[in-house]
Amino acid sequence: MNSQSKSTSLSSDLNNFIYGVSRRSSQNAPELTKIGINLLKNFPAARDAVLEYFAMVFHDAVNVSLNQSDYEADINTNGSLESVSMIGPELCSLGQSWAPFIAPWCISLIMDIATKKSNIPNATLQSTEPVRVLLDMTTQNLTLLNSDERAKCIDMMLGSWQCSWAVGWVGRAEPALVAPRALALPPDAARAVFAHLANHPPALAHVRAALVDMFHEAIKEDSKPEKRREVIPYLLNLASKSDIVLKALTQDIEVTLSESVLERVSAVCAAQRHSGAWEGVGPGALVALLLRADVRCLLLLLQCAPTYLYCRQLLEYLLQKLEYESLFSDKNIPLLTSAAEESDLVREKLLTGNQLERYSLARVLILVGYNLPSEFVSTISYLLQHSRDDATLAMLVRIISGTITMHIPNDSPDINMDTERHQNYIKTGVEYALRDAMISDTEIKRYFIEDNLPKDQKTYLHYYCLNIIKLLRWENSNRVGHLRTRPIGRAVEASLYRIGGALQEYASLLRVRPECTMASLDEMPTCHALAEVLDRVDMSGTKAPPPSVEVILKVVQATVKYFFRCLHEKDIMDKLRGVQTACRLLRKLCIHSKLARAVALRDLLETAMFREEKAFGSRSVVANTVTSNKDWANEELLIHLNQKHGPITQLTQSHTSVFHAGIIGKGVRKQNGTDNGNGIPPILTTNNELLMAALMSCMDGNSGVVEGATSVSLLLVELVSPDVMYNGLPWPDEDFTKQVSIERELYMRGALEGCAVARAALRRAAGARPALCLASALLRAAAATLLHRHRALLDRHSQSAEMARERAALAELLATMTLGQLLPHPLSHMLELAPELTASEIVQVLRDCLWNYTRDHVPSPALFTCDATGLHWRDPSTCKPPATYTDTLRLIIQKRISKLGHLYPIMFLNLEKDTQ
Amino acid sequence: MSLSDLKHQLRKYDFPICAKEALIRIEQLLVGRAAPSNKQLDIAMDVIAEFVFCEVDRRGNRRSAGITPLQELQLIDVICEYLSTCGNDTTKNTIFLSLFGGIESQRRLKVLSILASMAVSASSTSVLLAVGVWLQQMGCSSALSLQLVENIIRDHFYLNTSNQNTLKSLAITAPQFVSNFITAVTELYMHDLQGTKKLPPRNLLEVITSWVFSNPTLCMSAQLNPAALPSGSIPMAAVTPLAGLVHWCALAPLYIDEDQEMVEMIVPVKRIKLENERDHPTFKTNAFNKVLTEAELYTKLHLAVLHSLRAGRRTHGPPTAVNAQHLTGLTPHVQACAHQLLKRGIKLQNDRRLQDCLDRIGQAVQVALANGCVYGNISNLLAALDTLPENRLLRIIIKTHQQII
Repeated sequence: MNSQSKSTSLSSDLNNFIYGVSRRSSQNAPELTKIGINLLKNFPAARDAVLEYFAMVFHDAVNVSLNQSDYEADINTNGSLESVSMIGPELCSLGQSWAPFIAPWCISLIMDIATKKSNIPNATLQSTEPVRVLLDMTTQNLTLLNSDERAKCIDMMLGSWQCSWAVGWVGRAEPALVAPRALALPPDAARAVFAHLANHPPALAHVRAALVDMFHEAIKEDSKPEKRREVIPYLLNLASKSDIVLKALTQDIEVTLSESVLERVSAVCAAQRHSGAWEGVGPGALVALLLRADVRCLLLLLQCAPTYLYCRQLLEYLLQKLEYESLFSDKNIPLLTSAAEESDLVREKLLTGNQLERYSLARVLILVGYNLPSEFVSTISYLLQHSRDDATLAMLVRIISGTITMHIPNDSPDINMDTERHQNYIKTGVEYALRDAMISDTEIKRYFIEDNLPKDQKTYLHYYCLNIIKLLRWENSNRVGHLRTRPIGRAVEASLYRIGGALQEYASLLRVRPECTMASLDEMPTCHALAEVLDRVDMSGTKAPPPSVEVILKVVQATVKYFFRCLHEKDIMDKLRGVQTACRLLRKLCIHSKLARAVALRDLLETAMFREEKAFGSRSVVANTVTSNKDWANEELLIHLNQKHGPITQLTQSHTSVFHAGIIGKGVRKQNGTDNGNGIPPILTTNNELLMAALMSCMDGNSGVVEGATSVSLLLVELVSPDVMYNGLPWPDEDFTKQVSIERELYMRGALEGCAVARAALRRAAGARPALCLASALLRAAAATLLHRHRALLDRHSQSAEMARERAALAELLATMTLGQLLPHPLSHMLELAPELTASEIVQVLRDCLWNYTRDHVPSPALFTCDATGLHWRDPSTCKPPATYTDTLRLIIQKRISKLGHLYPIMFLNLEKDTQ
Repeated sequence: MSLSDLKHQLRKYDFPICAKEALIRIEQLLVGRAAPSNKQLDIAMDVIAEFVFCEVDRRGNRRSAGITPLQELQLIDVICEYLSTCGNDTTKNTIFLSLFGGIESQRRLKVLSILASMAVSASSTSVLLAVGVWLQQMGCSSALSLQLVENIIRDHFYLNTSNQNTLKSLAITAPQFVSNFITAVTELYMHDLQGTKKLPPRNLLEVITSWVFSNPTLCMSAQLNPAALPSGSIPMAAVTPLAGLVHWCALAPLYIDEDQEMVEMIVPVKRIKLENERDHPTFKTNAFNKVLTEAELYTKLHLAVLHSLRAGRRTHGPPTAVNAQHLTGLTPHVQACAHQLLKRGIKLQNDRRLQDCLDRIGQAVQVALANGCVYGNISNLLAALDTLPENRLLRIIIKTHQQII
């Protein structure tokens, strides 16, 4: 160790430093800084001097960076900036034992700089590199201090008003220390500190803690009167100046101002209100404060309003102020913004609150909704879904009309545009509510899990519909001024497609019904409600633009579905009411749209014949595909039964090759087919009549019945006939059917006979002349098969069930054709004649009188003339059948005059008379 | 030369130079005669106040601002240079004591502190010796001395912890300073009766142990080498650190929780051996050198103190090493401790730590008495020791020595 050289001068570093500092310039700054850092490490005693030098460097650096423009010079060109960048990390990393020296130095340096540069904006100053380094150093070192020292340092900073920004900055590291101390400052200084703290989100909790502490301290029973007097006005004053304070104060306000606290506060206020400090916090100031506050404050105010008179006054003042302020659309009111953010809370309160709360919140929501259409929409949607009583619905009406008419002068030119816009919002609201209600129905609810479902629990969609219905009723009563423009009705009309869709979904048998959701409830009440909604709106296009094709199709399909669901209702009243509604709907839809009619008729008939045939007592038309295959035991199968006979069955073409007749896949034919139902299903059943009513309601109006019946006929042909050939009007030679189309005819006859609906529909078509002509193919099929069977049976089985069926079928065919005026006068009496005839006579009559006549007089609409009233009519006087077709009848009657004589004058005398 | 002329001349210079010049003038004023007159002393003091420390302005009014830290540094540089170049110890001590002797302001103490601390950093022997003299003259346990010592400890044992080797070598270069320094340090720690146990930091303990252990005569060095004082001044008796160290060693077992320390045992870090790298032989021996726990350090220090006590025997003249009264001061600490143990219901004979403490007291007292190092009221000491809890060694020692007296 070279102690001699050291003894003369403590060290060369020290000498260089002393020498260098006396000739300080920006050139030697980096070098001196290096020496200084070395000195700090090796000669801790020199720290004061070194730090003083560093402080000078910082001052220089701040000057430099304030004067240089952004891109003028990089950091290396200036010595002091370079030094600063060296000093920063060094002083940060010195460690805990150094912190008690470094931290106060940093702080006094900040204060120095802030004081010197007080004419420069804080933001500029803060953004300079040296100040940033310095602040970092301060923060770093503060964290190393123990709490006492830290508190001391922060107190030091708070003493100087110029560097409140620095306190805010540094305070981010120690918000818990800074916040309470800042509160001891006068409002302006405290505001500056808090403003800077506000940039640091975690500080909020500490600020809040400090504020709440102060507040609670102030309202304590035993606190010193002179101390506590100032606190409340002080806090309010501070809050009016600082956003973060307001935020901190109002956060969880309902926790801070619990009921007991409120009581205490009101006592304190009453005692002190007249002192000087309270002058600044009159109602005007409070309202201004509340305008900036959270919506929870408003809720609290509402909660207190019943208890305290001044709360009510304040509330009214606030609402009026809000309404006034909202007139300036460019203004942004935090209370309203907050209300929008917390709109769920507000709306819930709107449902559950007391009257004052509800009315006040409705006013607030009007303002919110006016500025934020999305909130308007969701408010509507929410209330439509959750409202359960008239009062709430009335609130909704008020909100809607309030928002629409909030401040449109009546003479404003754009009033129409604006109303249109709002009408759109309402429509969206209605749609959203529908969608949400449907979604809520599929959500799992606690009720189900805990198994305490209320007895009359309805689905959400049901409630929604009930609300809509109620609103529509109000609207239609024309007694509610606010609803004069039919906002709801128009909205519902505009969203028919969705409502139709909803009805279709709920009426669908295949709907998914998850456990423990509202969807698992019985859906029929909901369907009824939906149908009622549809029923209540106007679809004719008289009050609003007519619904589009898509909408019509949707609603028609839904209605048909609903109709068939109603048929299955147990309760007869529900059933009839539902069916009536459906019919009304169909009528409304079809009256203006042929398309709707076509779709409705097809849907009704198809469903009735192929899907719901059970409800009408019909047999399945296509037996094999619809009924499920039975699991047959091996020995029951035809193939096995036949194989049992062994080698004898080898002869081909021999009638002995088949011993057991039947349908392949269905086993041996049952002799008296019990499973097919005995005989022909009856036409006159409730369901059938209801269906007919529905069909008829599709064909209302001018010439609607004929057109409708025509389409019914065509539909029947389409649905019953197995192919597209031979469906034309003309009847061919009777031989032709025998040779070519008998199988087809048999099939069609079977299908028609099994289906009561088709037969009933055919009768209706017969009534609406000339619609029956178009079902000529069906009639022909019946006639051909009758002819064939009677011929085959002759007299052998005259008493059998089969015979009875044939006769009934014959009677029906004759009745239908007669009704349809396809058999003119004498021929029309075949109906009365038929029961008395033997099989061979029937064959004759059928061939000569019916078949041949119809073959020669093609049943076509051309036979019918339209009279002045628009009715189609075949005049009996002009279409007497020639004698060729009636002679057979005449001969038969003459032959059996004893029995049938009474018919002779009816059938032939007039005829004779005419011919003479 | 009259005061005004002197001042007039000095005022021609700027700050650091004027201090340098002033020191030369003061040396001329104070040294060389039998004793400086009161007037000369006054002149010297005025010059020091105005030109060295810049405490007053030219009209004799107090300056409120004083000198900046940078100027302090310059001043210290000047003083150092002066002290190092000054050949004569008496002159040096005279100037030093007149600069810092009558300290009335904290400013001068601060300068002194920085000066002393920097001298320690740089191992500047001449300055350290002067500081040692200052400590002795001010009294090692005086408030000012303690303040100075605290500053040094903070600088060198808290802020700068990388200079242990430099510090250890001070015992050789400036033993008088070290001796006085230790005396003052022993006053700082383990002296509070109740409440917080203020223990010396570990590195301070290590350094002191190393000092005392390596040089048994160190503790006596302040007494063995009397300071060269200016003529006419009264030399103050040097107090050895031995009593204080006995104090520390005796109380250490009570204050230090060995179990707690076990946790702090540093596990030697396994080094990854690189290719081509040979283990340095010194590193190996270092690795075997076990790091001592604090309790072990105190044991080592205790041994060193016993050695030093044996070296403290004076062939002629009255004993000067240890003041009996100082040792008596131990008893209240031990008794307080014993009280607490009793409160917790622990038998005093079975408490290993208390017995350890009593053993160490016994050993130290025995060695001191046997070597005739103790001055003051020995019978009082023995009577005080008698009030301590039961300990076999102590009992024997007390009996033996009471008989001798």
